[in-house]
Amino acid sequence: MKSITLKEKHRHKLPMGILSMALLPDGVGLVAGCMDGVYLTSIDKSREPKLLYSHDNYVSSVVSIGGDTIVSAGYDGTARWFDLAEQKVTDSVKLHDFWSWDMTASPDGKHLASVTGQYLAGGYKYEPQEESEPSIRVVDVASKQIIHSLPHVPSVQSVAISPDNQFVAAGNLMGEVRIYRIADGELVSQWTTSDFTSWGIIKSHCYLGGIFAMQFSRDGKHLLLAGMGPMRDPMAGNGKQLWQKWDWQAAEPKMIDQTHEGDAGEGLMETLAVHPSGDMFAMGGRLRGGDWNVALFDMQTGDRMAILKLGFRATEATFTPDGKHLVIVGTQGQPSKPKGDGFPDFGRVEVFAIESEAT
Amino acid sequence: MKHTHKTCGSPEHLLHRRLFLQGTMAASAASVASFNGLFSVPALADETKRQGKKCILLWLCGAPSQFETWDPKPGTPFSGPFGAIPTNLPGVQISSLMPKCAGIMDKLAVIRSMSTEPGEHFQGIDVLTRGDKPRQPFIRPILGSVVAEQLGHLDSPVPQFILLDPCPEGNEFKGFKAGNWAGWLGAQYGPVRAGGEYSIPNLNKLDTISDIDHQDREALRSFFSKKYENDRRSQAAGSLNAAFDRVKGLMSCAPLFDLNSLPETDRQRYGAGAFAQHALQARHLIENGSTFVMVANGMPWDNHVFQHEMHQMLVPELDNVLYQLVTDLEDRGMLEDTLVIAMGEFGRSPWLNEARGRDHYPKAWSMAMAGGGIRGGVVHGATDPLGHEVAEDAVDNRQLFATIFAALGIDPHEEYDLPDLPTFLRVEDGVAPIQQLLV
Repeated sequence: MKSITLKEKHRHKLPMGILSMALLPDGVGLVAGCMDGVYLTSIDKSREPKLLYSHDNYVSSVVSIGGDTIVSAGYDGTARWFDLAEQKVTDSVKLHDFWSWDMTASPDGKHLASVTGQYLAGGYKYEPQEESEPSIRVVDVASKQIIHSLPHVPSVQSVAISPDNQFVAAGNLMGEVRIYRIADGELVSQWTTSDFTSWGIIKSHCYLGGIFAMQFSRDGKHLLLAGMGPMRDPMAGNGKQLWQKWDWQAAEPKMIDQTHEGDAGEGLMETLAVHPSGDMFAMGGRLRGGDWNVALFDMQTGDRMAILKLGFRATEATFTPDGKHLVIVGTQGQPSKPKGDGFPDFGRVEVFAIESEAT
Repeated sequence: MKHTHKTCGSPEHLLHRRLFLQGTMAASAASVASFNGLFSVPALADETKRQGKKCILLWLCGAPSQFETWDPKPGTPFSGPFGAIPTNLPGVQISSLMPKCAGIMDKLAVIRSMSTEPGEHFQGIDVLTRGDKPRQPFIRPILGSVVAEQLGHLDSPVPQFILLDPCPEGNEFKGFKAGNWAGWLGAQYGPVRAGGEYSIPNLNKLDTISDIDHQDREALRSFFSKKYENDRRSQAAGSLNAAFDRVKGLMSCAPLFDLNSLPETDRQRYGAGAFAQHALQARHLIENGSTFVMVANGMPWDNHVFQHEMHQMLVPELDNVLYQLVTDLEDRGMLEDTLVIAMGEFGRSPWLNEARGRDHYPKAWSMAMAGGGIRGGVVHGATDPLGHEVAEDAVDNRQLFATIFAALGIDPHEEYDLPDLPTFLRVEDGVAPIQQLLV
C-alpha cells in the first residue's frame, strides 16, 4: 500500500464563490463556474482571473469539450457554448425550465447531460411532486440538439457519463439512482438507497441531503456516489461524510463498499474525482464536524489514504491529466460588507501535489 | 383603563355573544355529539359567521428569508439564485418564487422594515408571538390567547384558539410548544392542538352511553370539580376543568378537524403539503366559529444549510397558500373581518454562508398581512440597497403588535387586570400602531 501526502502547491482567490470547474486541455488553464459567471484562470496562478461571460443566474457546471470550446450550464436552465479563441459565446441552448443542478460531458466530448428538478410538495408529508419537465436532458454536442429527455423524480442533483460514453447516471434528493443507455434512452438500471438522504423529522417534513456527486470507475463497472448520511438535524447538515461504491451492472444493483467506520466526520460531500490511474478517488465538500473535508480513498480497498482540512467548502475536485496534482475549488462564506470598491474575494482555488511512498 | 371583561364591550358584541350562547345551549340539547346538530339552528350558523374579527397566523417557524420572499435585491451580490418579479403594485417587486402573491399585492400589506432584537429561535419565537420580551417570572400570553380572550367565545364548543402543526419535533419550537402559551390569562385560553400526528383521539361518545347519561355524568363531574376548585382555590383544578370543557366542546365539533371532509377541489387548490392543507383547515375553522388559528409546520425555514434547496419548496407553497386564503376569504365576504398574518421570528442574513445557507438576521426583515382591518397595497418601510439595515420606518415587535391589535379592534394599550401581579399593558410604553397599515 502507498502512503500518500498532499502538499499544497498553489492557492488563489476568485471574486465570487466557485461552484464548478474544468481543466483545459493544456492541464494548466482552468475555467471556473461561479455565482456571477465563468472565469478563466490557471492552476499555477500564472493567469490573472478574468470573467469571460455570464449566465442569467449562477453557473453550476462548466466542462471543456476539447479544443477551445467550453460549455457551461446554470441556474437559468441554459447551456452556453463559449469559444476561448474568439472570446465569445457562440450558442445558448435552453435545457430546463428550472435550474441545471449539474451537467457533465462524455469523455469523447460528443454528448452533454444535464439534470434539473424543483422539489415541490406532492403529498401531506412532503413526498416530492412528480416532475413537471423531464429531469434529465442529453444533448448532442455537434448539433446542439436535445436527443433524450429522460424521467426521474425531482430534484436531481448529480449526473455522470460512463468512461465508454455509453451510459448516463443521475441521482436525486431521495437517494434514487437511474442509469440510461445514451444510444436509445433505455433505462438499464435503477435503485434507491436511503443512506444519502434524510427525512427531516426534527425541524420539517421533507427530504434533505441527497446524492450530490457521482462518478463511474475507470473500468465502468462501478458507480461511486457521494453525499451525506442521514442527519439528526437536517438544517445543520450534520450527516456522515459518505461515499458508496455500487456494482450497477448486477441483476440487482449491489452496494459493495462505503466510507469505512471511523474514516468520516460530518458534512455534505459535493464532489467526486477519480484519479487517471483509476486506483484512487477524491471526495470533498463542506465540513460540519470532524477533521477533513477532502480525502483520498483507495479504489480497491476503500481505505482512506490522505485528508485535507481546507477551511472552505469544496465544490469540485479534479486530478490533473498526469495524475500528479489534485485541484480543488470552492467557496468561503460570502463577505458581509463591501471593502473599498467591492466585496472581498471569496472563491478559492487550491492545488496539491500528490506525493506517494511505498510503505 | 383596567381590563375587566371578556369582550370588546360593545353592546352589539354582547348581544351576539348572548345569542350565540343561547344557540349553543339549544343545539347542545339537540345533540351533544353532532356538529351538524350544533348548527342546526340557522340563526346560530349565521351568527357564528358574523361574529366579529378573527385571525389566521401562518407561523413561518425557523424564519424565512426576506430576500427569497418580500424584499429581493436583484443585481446585488446577496440576491441569491432566485430573481425578482414585478407585482400589481407599480414599482414593487417581490421574489420570483411568489408569482401568485405578485398578482394580489394590492390586497397585501408588507412590512419590509422589521427590526427586532432576539437573534436566537426560542427568544425570537417568544417575542414575535407574544409581542414583547419576557419579564420573568411572568408569562405574557401569546397572540392567539389574547385574541381568543378578547374576541372569542369561551363557552363556544368550537375551540377559539387552535394550533395546527403536524411536527412533534422542531427543536426550539418544540421547547416553545411544551411551554405555557396562555400565560396569565389561564389555560382555558391556550390552544387546542391538532394536525398530523396530533389528531384528536377519543372524541366520539361511546355507543353504550346514552346522551342523557353522558350529560348527567358531566354535570356531576363539573359540580364536584368546580366545588374543589373553589374550596381549594386550585389553579390546577381550574385548568383541569377548562380541559374538560374543551373536550366536551371538541366532541361536538370533531368533524371540523377532519381534513377528509373538506372538498377535494379545495384541497387540491391549496396544495398537497401539510402546511397548505392546514391553511385550508384554518379557513374552515374560522368560518365555523374559531377566532384564532395558528398554522405552523415544524421549523422548516431555518435554512443554515440548503437555503436554496429548501426555499425552492417552501416559498412556492407559502405563495399559493397566501393567495388561496386571501382570495377565498374575499370571495366569502370574510376578508374584511379576518386578519391573515404570515411571519417568522426574524429574517435571514444578506450573505450566504459557506454551507450556502443564510443565518439568523433580526436587524432587517419582512413580513406580510392581509384583511381584518389591515390596508392592502401597502409596502411599509424599506431596507438599504444590500439589505443590511432598515433604511426607512423601522418596525419593532411592539409596533407590530400594536398594529395587529388595533386592526382587530383590540385596544393595544389596555392594562391587564392581574391581581397580585405588576402592571402589564397589552402593548407596553404606549407604542402606537402604524396608521399607514390600518384601514
